[in-house]
Amino acid sequence: MSETVTFKLNGKDVTVPKGTTVMEAARREKVEIPHFCWHPGLSVAGVCRFCMVKVEGRPKLEIACNLQATDGMDVKTSTDDTKAAHKWALEFHLINHPLDCPICDQAGECGLQDYYMSVGKYHSQMTRPKVLKPKTLDVGKDLVLDTERCILCSRCVRFEEEVTKTGALGIFDRGDRAIVGTYPGTKIEHSYQTNLVDICPVGAFTSRDFRFKQRVWFLKDKPATCPGCSTGCSVDVFGKPETRTYYRVKPRQGEANGHWMCDKGRDTYKHLNQENRLRTALASDAKGKVSEATFADAIADLGSRLAAVNPAQDVALLVSAQHTSEEYKSLFDFFVRELGVKKVYQWREPGEKTDAFDGLLLRGDHNANTRGLQDALKEAGLPGGVKNEFDAVATSGAKIVIAVTPEIPWTFPSLERQLDSLSELGFVSFWSVAGSLTTRKKVKHALPLKGFAEKKGTFVNHAGKAAKLEHPFPCTVKDGRDVTEIVAALKQWRQNHGRH
Amino acid sequence: MGDTLNKVKITTAFEGKPNARALKTYVDNGGYTALKKAFSMQPAQIIDEVKAAGLRGRGGAGFPTGMKWGFVPKDDKGPKYIVCNNDEGEPGTFKDRYIAECNPHMLIEGMIIAGFAIGANKGYIYTRFEFFEEIRWLEIAIKEAYDAGFLGDNILGSGFKFHLDHYTGAGAYICGEETGLLSSLEGKKGQPKLKPPFPAVSGYLHRPTVVNNTETLATVPFIINNGAAAHKAIGTEKSPGTKLFCISGRVKRPGVYELPLGYPFEKLLNEDAGGMLPGYTLKACIPGGSSAPILTPEELKGLTLDYEAITAKGSMLGSGAIMIIDNTMSMVELLKVTVDFYHHESCGQCTPCREGTGWLANIMGGIAAGEGKKDDIERMNEISARMGGRTICALSDAAAMPTMSIVKKFGAEIADYIERGIRA
Amino acid sequence: MAVIKVARPPEDTNIFSAGWGYITTISVGMWKTLVIFLKQLTRIEKTNTLEWPEQPATYGDRFKGKHFLTLRDDGEVRCTACFLCATNCPAECIHIEAGNHPNNELEKFPVRFEIDILRCVFCGYCEEACPVDAIRLGPEYAMTGPTGGKWVYTKEYLAERKQLSGGIVSVKDENEKHPIVEAPKEARSPKQLKSYVRHGLH
Repeated sequence: MSETVTFKLNGKDVTVPKGTTVMEAARREKVEIPHFCWHPGLSVAGVCRFCMVKVEGRPKLEIACNLQATDGMDVKTSTDDTKAAHKWALEFHLINHPLDCPICDQAGECGLQDYYMSVGKYHSQMTRPKVLKPKTLDVGKDLVLDTERCILCSRCVRFEEEVTKTGALGIFDRGDRAIVGTYPGTKIEHSYQTNLVDICPVGAFTSRDFRFKQRVWFLKDKPATCPGCSTGCSVDVFGKPETRTYYRVKPRQGEANGHWMCDKGRDTYKHLNQENRLRTALASDAKGKVSEATFADAIADLGSRLAAVNPAQDVALLVSAQHTSEEYKSLFDFFVRELGVKKVYQWREPGEKTDAFDGLLLRGDHNANTRGLQDALKEAGLPGGVKNEFDAVATSGAKIVIAVTPEIPWTFPSLERQLDSLSELGFVSFWSVAGSLTTRKKVKHALPLKGFAEKKGTFVNHAGKAAKLEHPFPCTVKDGRDVTEIVAALKQWRQNHGRH
Repeated sequence: MGDTLNKVKITTAFEGKPNARALKTYVDNGGYTALKKAFSMQPAQIIDEVKAAGLRGRGGAGFPTGMKWGFVPKDDKGPKYIVCNNDEGEPGTFKDRYIAECNPHMLIEGMIIAGFAIGANKGYIYTRFEFFEEIRWLEIAIKEAYDAGFLGDNILGSGFKFHLDHYTGAGAYICGEETGLLSSLEGKKGQPKLKPPFPAVSGYLHRPTVVNNTETLATVPFIINNGAAAHKAIGTEKSPGTKLFCISGRVKRPGVYELPLGYPFEKLLNEDAGGMLPGYTLKACIPGGSSAPILTPEELKGLTLDYEAITAKGSMLGSGAIMIIDNTMSMVELLKVTVDFYHHESCGQCTPCREGTGWLANIMGGIAAGEGKKDDIERMNEISARMGGRTICALSDAAAMPTMSIVKKFGAEIADYIERGIRA
Repeated sequence: MAVIKVARPPEDTNIFSAGWGYITTISVGMWKTLVIFLKQLTRIEKTNTLEWPEQPATYGDRFKGKHFLTLRDDGEVRCTACFLCATNCPAECIHIEAGNHPNNELEKFPVRFEIDILRCVFCGYCEEACPVDAIRLGPEYAMTGPTGGKWVYTKEYLAERKQLSGGIVSVKDENEKHPIVEAPKEARSPKQLKSYVRHGLH
């Protein structure tokens, strides 16, 4: 049993493990102590001097981030003293901060703005010219650095030292001339750069990808799980439902990822935007001409074709591991259990290194639900084992192939080539988000799928931890359905047409 | 009650002796005898002796030295370190360079004894690089001490191992702060570390470390040789011993004076330093380096130079740098130079100090350039009040205290300057 | 059982009594109208009706009419694409697309800036929200046009209406907050006015 201490926080008794700082305890108790430099995923720097709290019986205010809770301590976070201290700490932070808010991407989620509203609201006494520093510096391929906006909280420097262990950033010069930056002739090279944008409490680091795209107050964020690899980082997806556009993906604190995520994972919103995406179903009409079709027509087309063959012999499933466990279950329930399809193949990137790991988060298995697919295969009584069986489809002799295609383009470098070779086969029904299908002449049937941010379901990560997708955005394409819904529609069609 | 007028020489005992800094002179005049005596004692005994002597840190804060040594964990098997803070950067102070230049062996002996007391086998002397002469003589002295067997693996056959190195800093004021010094010594950017943990537990390379001022360490051999009582007999009850006072400004004989603590200020100014130069009168005095609040002639009347008496007047003894401000000096310029200095030297780590010193310098720059506003004085007062006691180290306070005191005591002169746009 | 009696008011035959008051009031009004009509017909009294568009209509300088974007000294729009006007717009008629300015110092600028004038309610909130005084509601009030007219004003149209003799003057002085936009004197001639009105249409 670990030791605990009990102390008073704003008059309320709080029991925490020994060694817990007041800041951590307050966070656990949902007591807001304003702070800039403290970050739960980094070491304590104690430089912003913002998190001042009053400990009864001590002459000076103390910083909560470096104050270990001890038995009987009486901590108060909002006395007149601390309020004045917070207000002045903010004033000190702001005197040399440029009034860039109109052109700053951080505006709307900026610590300075938030705290001005909660602890500030004063008239600035700064009447002298501000200190000017270099702006819009190129410090890495995903980053833009503005040293003038920087409040020198040193979070980025600590991130570079403690998380990526690259130490690419430093604070140079002294006093109010100090600027954060890379060492001469170097840039930030690693693939966790955009985390610096997230941890930067102000707009000093901004993301090149998101730069000037949208103001954050127009965006809605919904929790999701990153589909980029088998780590399954908890993320927030930011989109503007009114215009059906997604803008960015940011990490959310989670068991799998701590506080961070990789830059690759941040690209996972791009394929969801309309311009990159399969917008309508494709199906052949009565004359056999392939054109854009309504969802119902496309289902009818597929349903009638399925009815015309012997499923056990002539139907093959080609399934990628980027969809939810629920989808696999309904897919196999229908095709394997009900129709008796025997030819089920796994679709994976050829030559992938499943065991590769970059040491931090990114894994070589770029499929979010490899484990979920294996479980579903096992449950359906099919042979499991992670293997790429893409080539087996061509020689399977199936007349109808249902291709549940991978969702995230960057995880499948050979996806376009594979789509090409698949469309050469007889009748392939693509269940996909890939926009390139509309331009392929040989595609005979396609159904637009929902993206990971638009559906409910479960991903099971490499460690077997299930992560639920529970808060879907509305699908950016009208006819987008998830696999479960497509299967249900097929079932319904078969019922309506007297086949069970 | 000790003697506050008896001018015992401790750290300046060799003043006037030919080739005073040589090892031979030092040994001939009773040098390194304290070391032999120390080896015959237990380390804890030495710490108790220093505690009993009431020796207080001479760097500025006046923290009891024996207590500081006592904080080092005794059961820690090491390595532990003793570091001499010879980074004398406080404006107006020039006492440590006197010791290191004229009497380096006393410092080395003090360091070996301190190392023996706390169980450190490695010592560093950290000096700012501007002190070329000092560095030269220190290095010669260290070599002499090695050659004579006072440093090395088995000092004087006692079995005690102590190595001493000299380290040159780049001259930053902040590296005079003990954790800033340790950061610099570790090869990092010289900026203070967050406390706790304190250096006595986790200092240089995260090992227990004691950082003492040069003058403090140089006093140790005297205490060991003559006993705590002899040290206690000098100075006042709470501030025993002697102190090097650096008096500067328009006085007849500026310089370093070793005087017992509790010595009357007027006696120092008028007798030892020979009084003000003809034609100049005393306008104010900064009694402890530029970080100390300024004192007016009225406050200086009857002032004795010890920690308690000066604190009672609202200032501090600090490093013992007594800066005499005469009637020709402008308080606007004085304040501008002071805040410019702290603006330049702030490490930029903590926000109140980084922005506060810059803001003060910014305002003073405006006032000096004739762009001052009436509420600038009130604003400076408020800024300094909010800077103090809010940062990792004391630099912020060091900038805030003199500003507040000058603004308070000479506000009228600054207001006049602001109104006229020029000096009266 | 309660009974409510409903009775007609007694008939009033005296047309000068209060009950007949409206007859007299109408008669007095009609008489005044007739007098003014005759006076103005015979030009004894001046008429207040403007023969617009041949005669100019002048509004106060604070009139909030068609929007325009102000320019900087170098001729670029002053707008930084901060979206504050779009955020503040109650009619949601402002559409902005921001981009990286080729000049690194300027950073952000509007690649597209569009106002759907048919949705605009001329509340002037955009003007108030603007932190850089880039958008203003100008003196133009004629915004009529044929069916199929360009009702979405582009950035170019909002920033540059030089042909307009009504005088859309973009501000150049950085310190000037609200200059008085004056209609040129010559615009008072009927010919100029025609041009003013014609260009006001589009």
